[in-house]
Amino acid sequence: MNNYHFGRGWARLAPYLLLLPGFLFYLVIMLGPAIATGFYSFTDASGIQGAKVNWIGLENYREFLFMGQASRDNYAALVRTLIFCFFVTTIQFSLGLLLALLVNQRLRGVNIFRTIFFMPVILGAVIQGLIWSLFLYPLGGPLATILGLFGIRSEFLGGQPAEAMAWVIFVQIWANLGITMMIFIAGLQTIPGDLYESARIDGATGWQAFRNVTWPLLTPSVNTNLLLNIIGSLQAWQLFLVLIGYRNGTQVLGYLIFAQGFGQTSGSVTSAFRQGYAAAASIVLFFLVLVIGLPVQYFLQQRERRILG
Amino acid sequence: MVNQRSTLFGALLALVLLLSACGASSPTAPAAQAPGTAAPAGAAPVTLRVLVHQNPPMVEFMEQFNQRFQATYPNVKVDMTVVNANELSTVTQTRLTANDVDVIDIFGFSNQAQPYMKNVTPPNWQTLIEAGLLLDLTDQPFVKNYDPAAIADAGTYNGKVYQVNLGRVSYSGIYYNKDLFAANNVAVPTTWSELVAACATFKAAGIECMTAGGKDGWPIFVGAYGLIGAMYPDQAGLVEGLWTGSIAWNDAKALDMWSKMQIYARDMMERGASGIAGDAAPGRFASGAVAMFPGGTWYASAIEAAEPDFEWGYIPFPGSDNPDENKYLFGKYDQGWAIAANTPNKEAALAYLAAFSDPANYQAFINAVGFIPTQPGATLDTRIGAAVAPYLANFRVGYEQYWVAPKGAGEYANPYASYFQPFGTYNDVQTLADKVQADLQSGLDANQ
Repeated sequence: MNNYHFGRGWARLAPYLLLLPGFLFYLVIMLGPAIATGFYSFTDASGIQGAKVNWIGLENYREFLFMGQASRDNYAALVRTLIFCFFVTTIQFSLGLLLALLVNQRLRGVNIFRTIFFMPVILGAVIQGLIWSLFLYPLGGPLATILGLFGIRSEFLGGQPAEAMAWVIFVQIWANLGITMMIFIAGLQTIPGDLYESARIDGATGWQAFRNVTWPLLTPSVNTNLLLNIIGSLQAWQLFLVLIGYRNGTQVLGYLIFAQGFGQTSGSVTSAFRQGYAAAASIVLFFLVLVIGLPVQYFLQQRERRILG
Repeated sequence: MVNQRSTLFGALLALVLLLSACGASSPTAPAAQAPGTAAPAGAAPVTLRVLVHQNPPMVEFMEQFNQRFQATYPNVKVDMTVVNANELSTVTQTRLTANDVDVIDIFGFSNQAQPYMKNVTPPNWQTLIEAGLLLDLTDQPFVKNYDPAAIADAGTYNGKVYQVNLGRVSYSGIYYNKDLFAANNVAVPTTWSELVAACATFKAAGIECMTAGGKDGWPIFVGAYGLIGAMYPDQAGLVEGLWTGSIAWNDAKALDMWSKMQIYARDMMERGASGIAGDAAPGRFASGAVAMFPGGTWYASAIEAAEPDFEWGYIPFPGSDNPDENKYLFGKYDQGWAIAANTPNKEAALAYLAAFSDPANYQAFINAVGFIPTQPGATLDTRIGAAVAPYLANFRVGYEQYWVAPKGAGEYANPYASYFQPFGTYNDVQTLADKVQADLQSGLDANQ
């Protein structure tokens, strides 16, 4: 009996051939640049075509991790990245779940709310940044006007670094909440209604039904959302660029890499491009994502196996 | 069996089609002009790709110039891209690498490593030249239209000319609202004490003293560069002193500078300035909402465009209590033209620069943008020209054009007024001065 769907002989190659374009695409678009980044992290490449590239060994890593106050500033950026990741992940995850539960009800007009909650996702970082820059305009913007009624003034994005960071966290959550919500909605809609009916017959309260039916069966969505939120927030940089720009006390690693690579680290328009150094910073960020992402993924897979078998 | 074969055939066909699509023949390269031809008129159609940075009066002028150029050279279509100044170097690099640009707007060469600087990265323009990406313009006739000193200072590297620089700008002056000064009986300040008193008078009258386009980051601290200039008129010497240790950002003189910077950030600059976009600040000043606007001469056209009848003046930043130390204007060489070395449209690009450099056109350009001219025959017959004329003999290239940070220096190793509250975190002069010097010293020590 032939259980192999594609048959025998040469036909067995069909799935591999079908996979090949995707694999080649992955190789060219993802793996190739990743390997090149690793290589360039050991050079003084500027990223300018034709410019001389010298092999400098671990010098970029030494500079990034151990050289002067700049390296201590890099560690501060790393800590900021983790703080950003923690707040974005926990708040976005919790709010996304809450909204998904709300808009998964059979209520009139629920589709409108789903659309409204998802809408920021399709706007793109530049539009998102523009909207919130206008809302937070300190000279007569909507929020400044409201706060002004209570005698409060703030520079918002251009003032204290901690406040500016808090606003970027807020906008990052607002911008991506829709994706988290949609993944949870997809998960909620795979849970059979019979289970809730049985729970109700057994006298379960709403909280008990959530805890014993919804939450365990949402495990795949929980895992997906957690990993996407963690990795996405660790790599975030666009909103920092659009909302704040390069300002002391607000950089996260993702933005630091961009700024170093493309000469955006000072007010001078003639700053040097340091893409070899930026590549080394990228590798550090990669290991950070790996160190956090892998144990989380392992833990989540174990949990999924335990719950869903 | 037929199904299996058709599946395999289908998969192979899809793969072949995909791969052939990926490897499609490369697009036909534009026909290169034969070198040495006089002009592209009447030749094959050419699309000349020009990259400039955002500066509204300059962009408006360039759009008109492009139309005139296209009328003279009917075979040339100018495709001009405008990008934010902060992104100019990034876009220049990517488009040069992709061979997707012919004429480049490039700022005057600066920030070159000096003999006393150790282990620093060369500036971007130097790398572009060493990579062979900028065309050697040394023998082009239009270069002779420009002041040889400007060509040498801002456009020459290793004895060859790679840029014609279009003008100098000052960034260390202050625009002031003549009507508000008159209405409040405030004299134009010539010393720091007078400036402080003027701001106090305006504040008491409910008028904000100064504004800046702080959303772009740099305008707030660049607005105070005049303060640095008043205290350290020899800006090249200042940079050398910081590198060699004869000057420190926390010595007695520097503490005086930081004290003034704190007053500038905390008491003079209006709250909310950090939210104003760079190109919106001239309009806010022209609206009469603030009495003064510390900023570059390049803003003059935008102020006039916003309110043509608005009466304003421009003075050097009075950072010292000795009027003689406030007579300098500090600035830089601003926009210049360079050509991509690998351009297939070399003749058209050279014709473009030649047409632009024609003295009559250049004079019109200067009138539009308000640059201090780099062609000897041109004059700055504008209000800003008249305002800066008394100080032109005292024009000096500023600190920012000399400074190169040592590797390993911390993020506070700069003389920025924006480190002070409400724009930054510091509210104590000594603490900030020590932090700035420590951040700088850390980099200097790391390179020993």
